[in-house]
This record gives sequence, C-alpha cells and structure tokens, in this order.
Amino acid sequence: MTRVLIAGAVVLALVGATAASGQAAEDPVASRKAVMQSVAGAAGLSGAMLKGEMAYSPAAGKAAIATFNAAGVVFGDYFPEGSDTGDTSAAPKIWEDRAGFEAEVAKLAAAASAAMQASGREGPADLESFKAVVGPVLATCRSCHQGFRKR
Amino acid sequence: MRRTTLGLGVGLVVAAGALAWIATMPRTLASADLADMPQGDAQRGALVFWAGGCASCHGAVDPATGIIAAAGKLTLSGGLHMKTPFGTFVTPNISSDAQDGIGGWSQTDFANAMLTGTSPQGGHYYPAFPYTSYARMSLGDVSDLFAFMQTVEPVSGRPANHELDFPFNIRRGIGLWKRLNLSPEPVMSLEQLGRPAAEEDLALLVRGRYLVEGPGHCGACHTPRDALGSLDLSRWLDGAPAPAGDGKIPGLSPGHGLDSWSVSDIAYYLESGFTPDYDSVGGEMAAVQANIAKLPARDREAIATYLKALPVPGGE
Repeated sequence: MTRVLIAGAVVLALVGATAASGQAAEDPVASRKAVMQSVAGAAGLSGAMLKGEMAYSPAAGKAAIATFNAAGVVFGDYFPEGSDTGDTSAAPKIWEDRAGFEAEVAKLAAAASAAMQASGREGPADLESFKAVVGPVLATCRSCHQGFRKR
Repeated sequence: MRRTTLGLGVGLVVAAGALAWIATMPRTLASADLADMPQGDAQRGALVFWAGGCASCHGAVDPATGIIAAAGKLTLSGGLHMKTPFGTFVTPNISSDAQDGIGGWSQTDFANAMLTGTSPQGGHYYPAFPYTSYARMSLGDVSDLFAFMQTVEPVSGRPANHELDFPFNIRRGIGLWKRLNLSPEPVMSLEQLGRPAAEEDLALLVRGRYLVEGPGHCGACHTPRDALGSLDLSRWLDGAPAPAGDGKIPGLSPGHGLDSWSVSDIAYYLESGFTPDYDSVGGEMAAVQANIAKLPARDREAIATYLKALPVPGGE
C-alpha cells in the first residue's frame, strides 16, 4: 500500500514537473490550451448547476472554483514572446499590449481567488452563495476574449 | 451629316449625364408614410437601441484598450475607425448634441437617415452605416428609437472624416449602389423559412426575422460581400471575411457551427455569452451579445428560432 502511494506521488510529481517546465517551455500553446480547456470544463459544470440542469453540490462548486483559481495563477505564464503562431486563437494584441492582457488575467485571478476564499473547506453551502462568487469569475471570460482572442 | 452625328453625340452624353444624375439622386421617404409615423416612446426605444447595436460603433472608444467598453456605450461620441477594403470609415457623433451630434434633427430627418441612408442635408450616407438592414425596421421602432436618442447625454466634438479610396470617395455614386442594394423587403420569405402552421410559432419566426434582418443587421458581418460591398444575398448568413479588420466571421446558416446547437443553446449564448461547450463569446460579438442580453427573453428565442429555420444556402 505504502509503495503504491509513493509510486503514485512520484508519478504525480513527474506530471507536475512536466507541466511546469518541460511542456511549457517546449509547447506553451498546448499548455495554455489545456489550462483553458479545464476552465471551460469548470464553466460547464458551473453553468449546468446555475441553469438547474444539475443539482448543486458544494463539493462540485468548490471543484469548479479551484480549477478557475489554478488557471488564474498560471494562465498568464504560457504566452512567451514568439508563441503567437501555430494552432492558436490567441490574438496578436496579447504581445502588443502585454500590460492590458496581464490586467485581464489578473481580473480572473482576483475573482477566482476571492471565490476560493469564500468557498471554505466544504465549498459554497448553497446555489445562491455559489452564484454570488462564481458570477464575477465567469464575467471575466468575456472581457478578456473581447480584446485578446481571435474570433 | 457630320453635324447631325455630333449633335446626336452631344445629346447622348447629356442624356446619359441626366440619367446618371437622376439614378444617383438621394431619395427620402414619402411624406404620406411620414405623416403616419407615431410619436415615439423612449423606454421602448431603449430596447430598439440595444437591438440595433448603435453603441457598438458609435460609443466612446476606451483609448487604453481600443474597445468600446460597457461604460462608454451611452457616450455616443463616435470616432471608431473601421478599416475596410474601401478605406477607413470613422463613425460620427450621434449623441443629442445639437452642434456635433443629432440633437438638432427632426423625427423626419432621423427616419430618412435610418430607412433611406439620406442625411438631413440630402446627401448619401456610406453603407458602413447599415441602413440597408435598418430599412426593414418599422416606423414605430424608428420613432421610439428617435425618442430614446433624445434622452442620451449630449457629447461635443466631431470625429475625423472618412478616408476612402477613389472611386469610393465620390458620395454621389452611392445613389447607384442604393438602387441595387436598398430594399425594405425581407431577405428570407416565410416559405423559405418553412412557414410553421401554429400561429404562435409563426409570430416568433416573424419576430426573429425582423430582429436579424432589420435592426440586428446580423448580415452586415455574417454575409459575404462582393467587390462593391453589396451583400451576396444568395449566401445569406453564410459566413464571411470580417468587413473591417482581420479574421473570419462564422456562418450561421446550415453547414456551419450552429448545426449542433439547439434553439435554447443559441438563446442561452445570446443571454450569457457561453457556447454549449462553455467557450465564451469573443471579439466584436462580445459587444453584440451584451446588447442582445438586454432584450426580453422572447426576442432571443425568436432570433434563435429564425437562425435554426434558415435554409441551406444556395439550395432549393
């Protein structure tokens, strides 16, 4: 059992290291896409609960918020100079107006971090409190995509 | 004989000139139509304002981002530069300022601008102002919008003039273009849209057609244009290169991205800005979506119903 756990931890550490250095350096486009896909997944989960297509659960709410939060912390790191080509819908404006782009990412980070803090250990207790903290996070999608993503 | 030929030649030139003069003449609405125009209601007009997307071009551009942000949508100073294959269009001030905006206009002036693309001075507007779509609006909506425009704060200052290439810088020539492109008739007949039997469904479809083809002017970006900037109606809402700037505008007709979307998916996108797989709205559509989100839910359902009723482009 212990051996399995340790092996698991090693694998996780390796995956983490790959994500943090190797892949980001080699293929920032793939990395940021993966991060954004996790955000879309979390937004889908949030949306389904907000629309009432799915029953709200505090754990699911927290999972979504934690995903937004992680993305807010790392997303801005995956846009090095020269990563504006290839299969990407990142707009050239990201590199022309770096400060503007970083301000938009900071909005996501700030809203997600506030949501994370409000979540507590168990996650927001009910749909109303979830909505109150996740709404501002979802609003940042539009404001960034309006200027910094190609159509 | 020679004199007769010469005389005939001169006569032909004069006749051709006169015809060209008449063909390019700015036209206005018939006074009988205008006499029937009701007094507008500013509250209803606010909804027409959002449906028409006036702010997306005439709002105040935030110098830091180059975008007309939510805060600038009711500061109708104009000044957005639209780079097109014909040159650069600069949107004018349409605030209620009497000098620099449209505060000195009569309701007739406003209706002529919206529905015929003719200015109070009797000149042609360039069709970057989407009057070929607005021509399908009802007089009631136009007068409501006029009432609303008078409640918007005046802003002083006139943006720069358009910078257009020859021959597009000859305004008079637009008269000819209008003869080919300006019509209040719907693009899609109810038959083409598969006229639903139930009265309620029909009303929803007709409302959707009105919003999309009229005030919403969706075709201005989502339909391809020819070299003279005329919309290719045989490829209605079939997607197109962006009319201003770079990039492509997606098609809305069958065979494009909306095939896998339901009516409620489209309505939810217009309300929230999220696609069914939770990508979010981006680019110019972000502002359009934010405007449409201010309309009643039934209007978004109507737009979605119309889009899903569109026939395959070029098909029978």
